Amino acid sequence: MNASSPEPVLSLINVDKRFPGVHALKQVSIDLRPGEVVGLIGENGAGKSTLMKILSGVYQHDAGEIRVGGRPTRFLDAADANSQGIGMVFQEQSLLTNLSVGENIYLGNEKQFTRFGIMNWRTLYDAAARQLAKVKVDVDPRARAEDLDFASRQMVELAKALTLEERGAGHLIILLDEPTSVLERAEIEILFARVRALKSRASFIFVSHRLDEVLELSDRIYVMKDGAVVAERNAAEADVTELHQLMVGRSLQAEYYREPLQKTYRAEIAVEAHNLSLAGAYRDISFQLHRGEILGIAGVIGSGREELTRTLAGFAPHGSGRLAVDGREVTLRSPAEAVDSGIGYIPRERRVEGLVLFLPVAANITLADLESLSRHGLIDAREERRLAISWVERLKVRTPSINTLCLNLSGGNQQKVVLAKWLNAKAKVLVLDHPTRGLDVGAKEEVYDLVRAVTTEGLAVILTSDTLEETIGLSHTVLVMRDGEITHRASANPGAKPRQVDLIGHMV
Amino acid sequence: MSTFVDRLGIDRLRQWLPLTTLVILVILVGALQPVFLQPATLLQLASDTAVLFILATGVTFVIMLGGIDLSIQSMASLASVVVALTVARFGYGAFALAIGLGLLAGLLSGIAHVRLKIPSFIATLAMGGVLYSSALVISGERSIMLADAERSYQSWITGTVFGAPGVIIIGLVVLIVAHVLQAHTRFGRYSAAIGAGEPAAYASGVKVGRQKIFAFVLSGGFAALAGVVLAGRLASGSPTLAAELLLPSIAAVVVGGTAITGGVGSIWRTLVGALIISVVRIGMTFLGVNIFAQNIVFGVVLIVAVAITIDRSKIPIVK
Amino acid sequence: MSTPTTSATSALPDATPAKHVSRFRLASWAPVIVLVLLCIIIASINPNFLSFGNFVRISQAAMIPLVLGLGATFIILMGSIDLSVEGVLTLAAVILSMLVLNGANGNDYGLLAVLAVLVIGAAVGFVNGVIHVKLKVPSFMTTLGIWFIGVGAANALLGGMAIRINDPMIRGLAIERFLGFARGVWLALACLGVALVVQNYTRLGRHIYALGGGEELAALSGISVARVRIMAFMLAGVFYAIGGILAAAQLGLGNAQIGNGRLFTTVTAVVVGGTALSGGQGSVLQTLVGVLIVVVLANGMVLMGVPPSVQIGVQGLMIIAAVALSIDRKLMRIVK
Repeated sequence: MNASSPEPVLSLINVDKRFPGVHALKQVSIDLRPGEVVGLIGENGAGKSTLMKILSGVYQHDAGEIRVGGRPTRFLDAADANSQGIGMVFQEQSLLTNLSVGENIYLGNEKQFTRFGIMNWRTLYDAAARQLAKVKVDVDPRARAEDLDFASRQMVELAKALTLEERGAGHLIILLDEPTSVLERAEIEILFARVRALKSRASFIFVSHRLDEVLELSDRIYVMKDGAVVAERNAAEADVTELHQLMVGRSLQAEYYREPLQKTYRAEIAVEAHNLSLAGAYRDISFQLHRGEILGIAGVIGSGREELTRTLAGFAPHGSGRLAVDGREVTLRSPAEAVDSGIGYIPRERRVEGLVLFLPVAANITLADLESLSRHGLIDAREERRLAISWVERLKVRTPSINTLCLNLSGGNQQKVVLAKWLNAKAKVLVLDHPTRGLDVGAKEEVYDLVRAVTTEGLAVILTSDTLEETIGLSHTVLVMRDGEITHRASANPGAKPRQVDLIGHMV
Repeated sequence: MSTFVDRLGIDRLRQWLPLTTLVILVILVGALQPVFLQPATLLQLASDTAVLFILATGVTFVIMLGGIDLSIQSMASLASVVVALTVARFGYGAFALAIGLGLLAGLLSGIAHVRLKIPSFIATLAMGGVLYSSALVISGERSIMLADAERSYQSWITGTVFGAPGVIIIGLVVLIVAHVLQAHTRFGRYSAAIGAGEPAAYASGVKVGRQKIFAFVLSGGFAALAGVVLAGRLASGSPTLAAELLLPSIAAVVVGGTAITGGVGSIWRTLVGALIISVVRIGMTFLGVNIFAQNIVFGVVLIVAVAITIDRSKIPIVK
Repeated sequence: MSTPTTSATSALPDATPAKHVSRFRLASWAPVIVLVLLCIIIASINPNFLSFGNFVRISQAAMIPLVLGLGATFIILMGSIDLSVEGVLTLAAVILSMLVLNGANGNDYGLLAVLAVLVIGAAVGFVNGVIHVKLKVPSFMTTLGIWFIGVGAANALLGGMAIRINDPMIRGLAIERFLGFARGVWLALACLGVALVVQNYTRLGRHIYALGGGEELAALSGISVARVRIMAFMLAGVFYAIGGILAAAQLGLGNAQIGNGRLFTTVTAVVVGGTALSGGQGSVLQTLVGVLIVVVLANGMVLMGVPPSVQIGVQGLMIIAAVALSIDRKLMRIVK
């Protein structure tokens, strides 16, 4: 079908985008033809969201060309993207819940319904009802958005995107960004049916982490990896396993993940979970984490692994079951309690939860353990200096001085400061929540070195990671989760690492 | 990395701007009125600044955390009334009572803010109303002059120690205590961390709520002390005694370079800020500006100082 | 970068919107119930409460807080706060007293003076908005400064005196009656009508809600956030200026203390009415209910012989209780 295809409505030609320290999009070329649904898949950090943000006007590309209807263009902001016929349907959070459905549909475009500055609600709601009819959803345009279930909200967003038709924006292109993540199966089918029905009116780009859904809805699929498009497939010819392998791609490089440095872990148990459950998140989680062991948790979004990580870090206490740290049974009601139990958390939001960006390096390093620095209630400044300098040297943090604000450090060095904070606090367990997110390759390797080094010294590590290969490469043991339960356990000794395909089978 | 350099430059400017301003103002006022630079006038300036400085010091702890305390002037007034009413019976105990009330009011504000999650400006606005009302009720809505016998208890405020006015000594003690608390204790460090990045402080195991409540307790306590000192200096207590001091206090903190977004600041800066406010006030008096109209200047100074010190990168949405 | 850290909870299937619904419905009706209960209690203690004469007293006590509350509601709906109420009101009252027929100078501009005062209110609001939006100074700091600048300016104009108002039209707002109620009360009701129209039937009103509901989303939909914010502050400024006219009429003069305590009553009324400080939830009608709660309570306390000085304290406690009950803590991880 490709050969005889008509002119694309949207073309990306060698689009490039860089952020400080990260090459987010590398020569990305994508075509979208009239009436087509194009699926876009890739792991976290593959560049999907950057691409969507460029198409919705949040970012601008640095190089390459974007063509709409054959004409080169770029999108200055969201309103500009809208006016060029790009509509967006994001996850559940893009309706203003305190406004009515009709108002949401015409938010920012109410002027057509006013006369002498006074709003004519009847014409607005009538128009909104017509939009809702296009997507065949039975919702009162006067209802408040917060009263709608997530599926209906999604339909309202679709209806909102379709108002662009009336604004004469040319051929409509609708971006569907993870629209199914909060929907039930039946709701997803309705959404898909509507999208298919609307193909005569618009073309779609569909981003999802659920491969089966991408296969089901899309006509063509682009696979992204490390900021580049690595494959293009017709949906009819692709299968889940192949796509997954294309996404994670790289053959395992033992050297990269410092496998030769992986030592056998010790016999002492650092953390033990028994039938740990949290309503709506995960259930019956049991595992033992030994000193010196890296326990990787694999799973897709919604598998419950993120929530489990937050529980271990003290942000979301478990509901039932037992959790013991160092042999002592605990319920971690706050991060403070987790810290007291000897757990250190290295969050994915490094700049928000990891570091106080506006404090100096030294103050960040000592933040989690000022107690032992205090003499008669006062902080021993000289001792603090000494400690900070020694950590900076030991972890090779590249910083002008220990008095530099963490704000001014690169991502990799920031991550080292977070690690130094927990080592200084003598944490016995580290929870690594996507520890290499946003880091470039060199910085990643340094983090791997450090993680190996601290486990050799006896620290226990729980790891959730953006990529499956990182999880496998680093871990001694891998737990696979799906729908809140552990579906598979694999030991990952050096030279005998499980294959990605085997684990993927337990994830999806 | 030009932004890096820019940032350093701006930071340095921000850091030294208040002190430079103070020096220039002193020279300016001194040039207009040479009498201003005589030791006696300067000593008077220091004495007059003490109450403002004590009030501003208390609220500095709250602002460092990124909050605000709008009840300090009401607390100070209430403290003056309590002293005036009870000093005859309790003697020095009256001072302890007043300051104890301040600590208690701060505790209540802190709990309302932290446990009930009420924004600090509204919680303390409400607490200010409660305190003002209490002062009105117990004073019978009038101002209470201290009798001569009662004034003898005020000598630690009104008298001199080795030639220095007591009020300056009190101010110095407050400066030292507050500076140590802010710069050399865990509480001070945690405050800075919370103000600069609350989620990271929380994730690092800092007991955020407890630190915040303590800051409000300090603010209430220092406000009460300021009221006690003011009552001593004016030899009276009244429910509106300190009513005009809220704006200058907050202005002092901000003018000194403590950012209202939290995290950056120090007691020294507040001292500089309080002195700037005092010098401006004296300068305006020399120039014959109506004492009420001086609020115009303080209002402008407050807004300008906030606009200069605020770190916009920290607040994507300003409300 | 701005990914919320609460993804752990948002993915939970039990986070259905249904719970939300009943909360807000209750929140918007609770003030009405409180008002009715309050009336019943006071009336049962002192039947005089239900006399027509007392209704007139209540209406006169409520007219200024209502007008001020209308203005403040729009600001609070955006999630901001306006502490400049007293500043604008005082300045308006003083300038009005100097421009209409008065006991201090020869001016007699009548309606023109009223117009000038409204323009001044809008201008001060404009300054509030521009400083807040363009310099990114948080609204409570901007308006705190403007509060004192307003009162200071009024003081400077007066030089410590009070100016007697002799203009019959202005005095008539407090003295002349229509259907038994003071003209000022009708003016306040007219303001309520205007506020309702702005809130429900203009883009400005709807965009104020949109900003309060989610500023980033509103901006993504092409709403000019800066413009809406500045216009909202101007609108509020006009309402405060009208409050100043009414206050001057009631007192019969303009002085610099005319605004004392009014901010407190205004904020109490708005939050007691159930408008959320976080923005997006509430309405000017709820502010009417809040004003009535505050005024009826004060009236009842007077009828029961409680000294007026206690009322401020009671209002303070009401603020804390109302805010504590109405805040949606789930939405606010960090409270400052």
